[in-house]
Amino acid sequence: MPNPVVRWQILSPTPDKVAGFYQKLFDWKLSQANALGYRELTSGDKAGADGGVWPAPPGVNGFVQLFVEVPDVDAAITKALSLGGKVLVPKSVLPDGDTMAVLHDPTGISFGVCALKKRA
Amino acid sequence: MNFREALHAELAARRRRNARYSLRAFARFLGTDHSTLSQILRSRRSLSAHMVARFGRRLGLSAAFVAEACQQQIAESVLRLARTKSFRPNSRWIATRTGLPLDSVNSALDHLIRHGDLVMESPERWTTTRPAYA
Repeated sequence: MPNPVVRWQILSPTPDKVAGFYQKLFDWKLSQANALGYRELTSGDKAGADGGVWPAPPGVNGFVQLFVEVPDVDAAITKALSLGGKVLVPKSVLPDGDTMAVLHDPTGISFGVCALKKRA
Repeated sequence: MNFREALHAELAARRRRNARYSLRAFARFLGTDHSTLSQILRSRRSLSAHMVARFGRRLGLSAAFVAEACQQQIAESVLRLARTKSFRPNSRWIATRTGLPLDSVNSALDHLIRHGDLVMESPERWTTTRPAYA
């Protein structure tokens, strides 16, 4: 399993502004038609990864997270912990069926691991 | 220190400087009535994020502390709702029921999940691990 980077996420104190900027800059499709109201940005191209924008915690400046698809989120968390990583957001099953967790590497950089629900 | 504790600490500090300083005077300073403040201090009434922002400004608390306290109060509102039988695991539904902006709901969910207070177990089931504070 190659464990590819499949998603990116911007966390921003001004999510509307950021999402609108990238949508206009790259002619991406912006949609919030999901149970979380998550701002999904998609290029419509199979090449590259799609992403989205989520509100940043209070007092935190904007930053980017990359999400790596893994076969087993629990196993990825366990391995990350054994390598000195930390759990920031515990494993969660999102309304669309995808499973994700956000971790810190040993230097404090955050990233996500996810198992995407198979879609028709 | 949470926001309620900060209110207690400020009232105690004022009473140390002036033993006759009353709850009524403190309520007046905060721009609320003394019965509301009394209930808040005794955890008989929940603090809204709006109250936290207003009281925080009057007390000159740091913007970061007030922002965190506001989020905490919003998170408690979401947690209270999540413990009801009619709860639906859907940010838009929560936003409609609480009257909060969608981004505030999602920030609160993020906060609750990070702290282990709420678990997204499946698309249909979000469970809470503690009751909401008053």
